[in-house]
Amino acid sequence: LLFFQRVLLLVASDVDALCACKILQALFQCDHVQYTLVPVSGWQELETAFLEHKDQFKYFVLINCGANVDLLEILQPEEDTYFFVCDSHRPINVVNVYNDTQIKLLVKQDDDLDVPAYDDIFRDEEDEEEDSENESDGSEPSEKRRRFEEDVIERTMKRRQRREWEARRREILFDYEQYEYHGTSSAMVMFDLAWIMSKDLNDMLWWAIVGLTDQWVQDKITQMKYVTDIGILQRHVSRHNHRNEDEENSLSIDCMRIAFEYDLRLALYQHWSLYESLCNTSYTSASLKLWSVQGQKRLREFLADMGLPLKQVKQKFNSMDISLKENLREMIEESANKFGMKDLRVQTFSIHFGFKNKFSASDIVYATASLMENTEKEGPETTNFIKALDSLSRGNLDKLHQGLDLAKKQLCAIQQTVASCICTNLVISQGPFLYCALMEGTPDVKLFSKPVSLCLLSKYLLKSFVCSTKNKRCKLLPLIMAAPMDVEQGTVIMVGIPPETESSDKKNFFGRAFEKAADSTNSRTLHNHFDMSIIELKTEDRSKFLDALISLLS
Amino acid sequence: ATMPGVNQHGERMRKFKNKGKDTAALRRQRVEVTIELRKAKKDEQILKRRSISFSLMDESLSPGEDKRHETAQLSLEKIAEAVNGSNTELQLQATQATRRMLSRQKDPPINQIIELGIIPRLVEFLTRADNALLQFEAAWALTNIASGTSDHTKAVVEAGAIPAFISLLSSPHMHISEQSVWALGNIAGDGPLYRDALINCSVIPPLLALVSPVTPVGFLRNITWTLSNLCRNKNPYPPLNAMKKMLPVLICLMKHEDKDIISDSCWAVSYLTDGSNDRIQIVVDTGILPRLVELMASPELIIMTPALRAVGNVVTGTDEQTQAAIDAGVLAVLPSLLRHAKPSIQKEAAWMLSNIAAGPAQQIQQLITCGLLPPLVELLDKGDFKAQKEAVWAVANFTTGGTEEQVVELVQSGVLKPLLNLLLAKDSKTVLIILDTISNLFLTAEKLGETERLCLLVEELDGLEKIEALQTHDNNMVYRAALNIIEKYFSGE
Repeated sequence: LLFFQRVLLLVASDVDALCACKILQALFQCDHVQYTLVPVSGWQELETAFLEHKDQFKYFVLINCGANVDLLEILQPEEDTYFFVCDSHRPINVVNVYNDTQIKLLVKQDDDLDVPAYDDIFRDEEDEEEDSENESDGSEPSEKRRRFEEDVIERTMKRRQRREWEARRREILFDYEQYEYHGTSSAMVMFDLAWIMSKDLNDMLWWAIVGLTDQWVQDKITQMKYVTDIGILQRHVSRHNHRNEDEENSLSIDCMRIAFEYDLRLALYQHWSLYESLCNTSYTSASLKLWSVQGQKRLREFLADMGLPLKQVKQKFNSMDISLKENLREMIEESANKFGMKDLRVQTFSIHFGFKNKFSASDIVYATASLMENTEKEGPETTNFIKALDSLSRGNLDKLHQGLDLAKKQLCAIQQTVASCICTNLVISQGPFLYCALMEGTPDVKLFSKPVSLCLLSKYLLKSFVCSTKNKRCKLLPLIMAAPMDVEQGTVIMVGIPPETESSDKKNFFGRAFEKAADSTNSRTLHNHFDMSIIELKTEDRSKFLDALISLLS
Repeated sequence: ATMPGVNQHGERMRKFKNKGKDTAALRRQRVEVTIELRKAKKDEQILKRRSISFSLMDESLSPGEDKRHETAQLSLEKIAEAVNGSNTELQLQATQATRRMLSRQKDPPINQIIELGIIPRLVEFLTRADNALLQFEAAWALTNIASGTSDHTKAVVEAGAIPAFISLLSSPHMHISEQSVWALGNIAGDGPLYRDALINCSVIPPLLALVSPVTPVGFLRNITWTLSNLCRNKNPYPPLNAMKKMLPVLICLMKHEDKDIISDSCWAVSYLTDGSNDRIQIVVDTGILPRLVELMASPELIIMTPALRAVGNVVTGTDEQTQAAIDAGVLAVLPSLLRHAKPSIQKEAAWMLSNIAAGPAQQIQQLITCGLLPPLVELLDKGDFKAQKEAVWAVANFTTGGTEEQVVELVQSGVLKPLLNLLLAKDSKTVLIILDTISNLFLTAEKLGETERLCLLVEELDGLEKIEALQTHDNNMVYRAALNIIEKYFSGE
């Protein structure tokens, strides 16, 4: 990855991409590589950015975008243009996989891509023309000619074989492209690259951790994958941080230390009150069914079981009695087990720096994501991106704190929306899937016009719905959620998520389904997001689009 | 050791008509050489050839395809048994199995089938007018056997296939008659002996009778190809009256719109013109030359090549025959052919030009008037080497037969520079012709009193040093010719 030319960096708007970007920027700085950074939130912006810069740049790095479409097809680049693609979106487009000149994919070696074999999906055109046109050289006719196995039949056979091959190809590609899912976090891939070049730093490692944690918070990967990758990162953490272990007190203000932890799965609790965190964490809120009166009662019982006074629980975590905090984790876990919350403990990492700054990886994910989708408008779209990117640097504590505040608001908004959707029975079964549409005028509806927030809401809602419903069939259904996007243009944003089951492989078939439903109904849709399971469409077209989806998936 | 060289030169000198030799001999000789080259090339191509696609296929064969896979598995012994037996169903199955083996792409077992001794029986099946399927399968199998070596063809002919196939030309089933045309084409293509055997068995009338406005294109292609084989080969040439019967139909086919039909009929005419002047005359008399010249300009290589060959053969004939080609407009087409991207076309066109340049001064004048000198000079300068050699011949013939004014015009067109450059060629024959040509130019210059100017010109163009260098040439003839020029024109001071 040694360039002597200026590089254009195209970075998608998700936390993992930002982390990968931070690592790459640090590497570029190290090697004195000149680059220009352009944030892209969707395909349209990617295309525009490419068109604007294609004359000045030959090298393009794409982070968390570009892998799952035929890049050469949509961008039509010159032959001397090269793309380096580091993208967790799966499946990777087969043309990208098999192009060995212009497209370079950055993929972890042990990632199982299951790409179809080349010969199964590509065929050299020469095979076809073989017997049709070898007569045109103007040489004398042959004196004798054998009549081969009936030309007509042979050609029919050839055509049939060709048809069979094509049918098989379609099947293979259908199987391959049917489900959308995510591979290894791009930040981790980028960190691997730094490590291979022996240029990995503790900061880079932290970004890799945040990238992976983002995938976990956004529910993009399986529990299995998460635990495996945590294990990988843990080895790097101990390699980078063992030196400081015995001398914790000697930490200077410049030092930072990363530590592996079994922490509570309570969002932002160290920067909130325990009570608020319990109420606004999807896992606890869904498990205790906090949207109901009984749920609230259960929460009080839960707290009483732990023996924590309500006053202590409701005040800022920082100000809680030290004595209470000492065995807090064990106490909470013990009581949680009694209340059916067996997975409150998670493996994660935390970072210490300065005298008192301690953050868990998920804190950073929530804060950065909120900054990125901040709807309190200030300046152009890219401001949010830059702010979010900056918040990842240790030196920008103020931005990080601003992000934490936004994140709290976001989580509260999500919880309130989830509660109101469930209480007013807004989640309806459409047969093959559940459906929930947010109305214009719903509080915080603007926040949910953004993809990451909407996805988070959908996942929390589905989790809560599964806990609330008694219908066993409904518990196994995927969910489609719609929210108003642009009132003036009359558009909605729609996201489909896979069923919420324990053994979920996190594979999402809505991308293909949306495509087909849109095609068959001529709905005015826009597949602008890098996640294919997010789609924008005209509000008027929504019902026919849904009807088509229902009949398609039934 | 130098004697053969002298003889060679003597032979070559005989071919210049102004040296008192027969023009026709000059032209013939050159045809002979090219034909030999063509034949050598063609032989290796036969191996690579694939069957041209055929549109005609009887529907009766399409069903039961699966069953045919089973029959293909029959062993050779079983086949022999069934073919020799009396059960017609088994005969058909065995014949079909044989045909299938013979029509597979790889290693058809022609020899094994011949050794099986079933060919007479297959020929007999051709006569089973009551069993069209059997007739067809047998015809196809025999076609493929006849497509092999001469021995293979011989096995088919000696089993009496010729009269059987000829009578099948009139079969009511078109696919059987077409298969017979194909088989007869293979037999005719074996050589003059079988070609004439077919002609003597009156193959031509029923074959020509198949050509009609409603004959399908695929069938017509087959007929045209078989006709071309009946026109093909010399020693001896096909009988004159056979040629006269086929020509009108061939001329008709040449006006068809299908490029394969046009191509094969052009090849047929090119064979017919590749003979004595009276044969050329028969073709010229049909009035086909304008069409041939038109086809020479076709963008299709498979049409342009045989048309060029045919007209090229015509201009090897008498001055009148050459004039007929000129009158048909050949000189207008030649410049673009001389500049054609394909070396073989350049060469063929230059060969034609050299033969026209071997004509009387009036034809040379037409050549100048039609603007052939610039493309000739270009070809001499930048053409493919084989084409350059032909161009050298054209210049040589020009300087022998042209008037003084015409030769002056030739020199003024810039021919000298590329011509002198070619003195560096490795091929001593070509070098000799160029030296002869230079001598001719000096002869003309002497008559005009311009010897000194020509000397200067040759010197300016670095010709003198090249000629001087040739005095040390290995070839005795070259060295003597070079020495002769130096002594005669460059030893003055």
